[in-house]
Amino acid sequence: MMKLMLATSAIALALAAPARADFWADASADLQGVTIRGVSESTPPSNYVKDVLIPEFTAKTGIIVEYETTSWDQMFDKAIKDMEAGSGIYDFVYIEQDIIYSYLARDFLVNLTDMLEANPDLQAPDFDMAAFTTFIDNFRGADGDVFGMPMEAFIKVYLYRKDLFEEPAHQEAFKAKYNYDLAPAVTFDQWRDNAEYFANIDPNDELWGTTVQAASGHPASFYEFFETIAPSFGVYNWGINAETAAATVEKGGQMNSAEAKEALAFWISMLDYAPPEATASTWDEVASTFAAGRAAQGWVYGENAAWIATNPEKSSVVGKVGVMLPPVVDGVMAEAEAGEGYIGYYDGGAFGMPHSSKNKEATLLFLQYIGQPSVQADWAVAGSRVVHQATYDDPKVQAVDAIADGYFTLMRDKGYLFRGAPEFPFHAQVREAVAPFIYEAIVGTMTPGDALDQAAAAAETEMANLGYGGN
Amino acid sequence: MRNSTTGWLLLAPTLFILVITGLLPFVYVLSVSFFDWNTFAQNPDPQYAGVNNFRRLVFDAAFLKSLWLTLKFTVFVVLSQLVIGFFLAKMLMRDMPLKGLFRTVHTLPLMIAPIAVGATWRLLTVPGLGPIPHWMKEWFDISYILSRFPDQAFATVVIMDIWHWTPLVTLTLMAGLSNLPEEPLEQARIDGASEWRIFWDITLAFLKPVLLTTIFIRLMDALRTVDEVWMLTGGGPGAETRFIGLHIWRVVFPKTDYGYGSAMSLITLYLTIVMCWFLYVAMTGMKDKTR
Repeated sequence: MMKLMLATSAIALALAAPARADFWADASADLQGVTIRGVSESTPPSNYVKDVLIPEFTAKTGIIVEYETTSWDQMFDKAIKDMEAGSGIYDFVYIEQDIIYSYLARDFLVNLTDMLEANPDLQAPDFDMAAFTTFIDNFRGADGDVFGMPMEAFIKVYLYRKDLFEEPAHQEAFKAKYNYDLAPAVTFDQWRDNAEYFANIDPNDELWGTTVQAASGHPASFYEFFETIAPSFGVYNWGINAETAAATVEKGGQMNSAEAKEALAFWISMLDYAPPEATASTWDEVASTFAAGRAAQGWVYGENAAWIATNPEKSSVVGKVGVMLPPVVDGVMAEAEAGEGYIGYYDGGAFGMPHSSKNKEATLLFLQYIGQPSVQADWAVAGSRVVHQATYDDPKVQAVDAIADGYFTLMRDKGYLFRGAPEFPFHAQVREAVAPFIYEAIVGTMTPGDALDQAAAAAETEMANLGYGGN
Repeated sequence: MRNSTTGWLLLAPTLFILVITGLLPFVYVLSVSFFDWNTFAQNPDPQYAGVNNFRRLVFDAAFLKSLWLTLKFTVFVVLSQLVIGFFLAKMLMRDMPLKGLFRTVHTLPLMIAPIAVGATWRLLTVPGLGPIPHWMKEWFDISYILSRFPDQAFATVVIMDIWHWTPLVTLTLMAGLSNLPEEPLEQARIDGASEWRIFWDITLAFLKPVLLTTIFIRLMDALRTVDEVWMLTGGGPGAETRFIGLHIWRVVFPKTDYGYGSAMSLITLYLTIVMCWFLYVAMTGMKDKTR
């Protein structure tokens, strides 16, 4: 009986296996030689797509993928202009979580749920929307349909140098100076003390107290302040009241509230303890600074956590990285636990298909290919991104998790405390109106208070110009 | 009549290209400038706004600051390039050892794309990585951080542009100097004129057509500088190197404010034409006066 069952199973497997293995070849039979084009930011997860997933996909389907990885601002410019003009240059574009609302408002994207239902022959057997984490909800339209295939998701965490914090000589010297034990920061006062201490111990200025993503002419500084620092002081959604499109306290916003000003003042003051490249640092440079061992602690985008912690070719702090939740002021954690606030930034993005795509079938296959379970674990190891719930349990991911001080576990267990950008259709426009004042505060030509007062007023003017709120 | 027809036929391809690439975009930008048009507004369609976009410009502190910075930058770089380029041209006209090598090396920056020039200077000036901040600290105890100190950023952008474009001025002035007639110069020397009088009354007078062309080219280039500066400073720190081209780019692209951006573009074009015209009148007037 056992032999019969085994033989039956073997036959069933033999019959089933080719069908599953050949799905990509079968589905793409009429698409051989078709070229699809995509654009994305050059990030570790994106580079994995270029270096690994695209060659695999092309080998299995015969569909050629031309994939452009460029700077963050160029990526958006190119994608938006292509979709606005309907020129059809790109078949898939990177949609950051914070821009999807603008894209949906403009009806730029193909409804992937509908398209999959309409094309059963193109549905990959291993692909399942239910396998994604709740991050996919960021890419759903009002009726719950999916408009973007999640490709990366991560949280912005507090990274610190375990080796420095555990060094007895530092612990002794720190306690002698500050009268309490040296430890990773759980309060902002502690962050400041840690930063001051480590910024002053290296006479060669090769080690600094903290990273600050304070590029003084790039929106990265706007994002670090409004999506990471301000929420941890209890200022959410950029300090904008979405219902009334108000930013100033007088009209019901929070952008120039006392909490926001305290947050900006703290963040700006950290420049005194940050390496000189801080005012030129975007997310990439912050990761490089930390990986080069030039900062004792910092806010770092999680997409970099794995390579900083594990890749000795790129990082000089392998095995020395500690990961924790960033500090928050009193009351913020409780609000985040209750779902009324959040403690930091949950970032990520998806690939979406513009209506102007000229090769929709081939693109749909590609999007499913990157969304299937079998590619997720290696991708997570390479780019510290997780979009499938099952990825957390993969042995490869767990092995990296152990070296990266539990980054993946932290993301799985505490990810709900973080949140992406607010659902603003005027995201880029208000950012461009507000960011110059943050730059002025960084350079010191405005006080943090003045900068936020003027920023809030500028935000309201911009929203009014765009027809929102009527301020 | 036949000659005229043939002439127009020969000109037709060029005129066609000019209309397609020059006139039509200009007319389009002109028409867009009279509309409020932001595709991410609640109403993404163009709304007729009359001259409101031009009126806004007068009160837009960011635009005016950007315009002022651009003019300051233009004056600095064009004057510096003329002076340095003239001396280099004079030097390269003489016989000297390794003249050919020097001339080749001096001309190399011209062959580099502006975006690559910006990238190179960025690598040279990034704190913690670039050699310039390192040596400024080591030799002069100066914290050289472009992204933090506006004066350093502006000065560096000016120096970068001078480094990049002075060779063009040198080459054009060399061409002009090599065509100077010898007789008036010899006559002046025989008459006992000083070198300064010879330079002012003869050399400069004969060089005016070349100078005018060179100044026009550099003036227009400087007023529309974008790529190098975008790469080196991104317009920062703050908005201290956000010249008009960069400012328009930020308004039109990330902010998608097409109507207002078009108005800015037109005003910038108008100012460029006016400046060139004034310069032309001033220089040709000077020529007449010299006569």
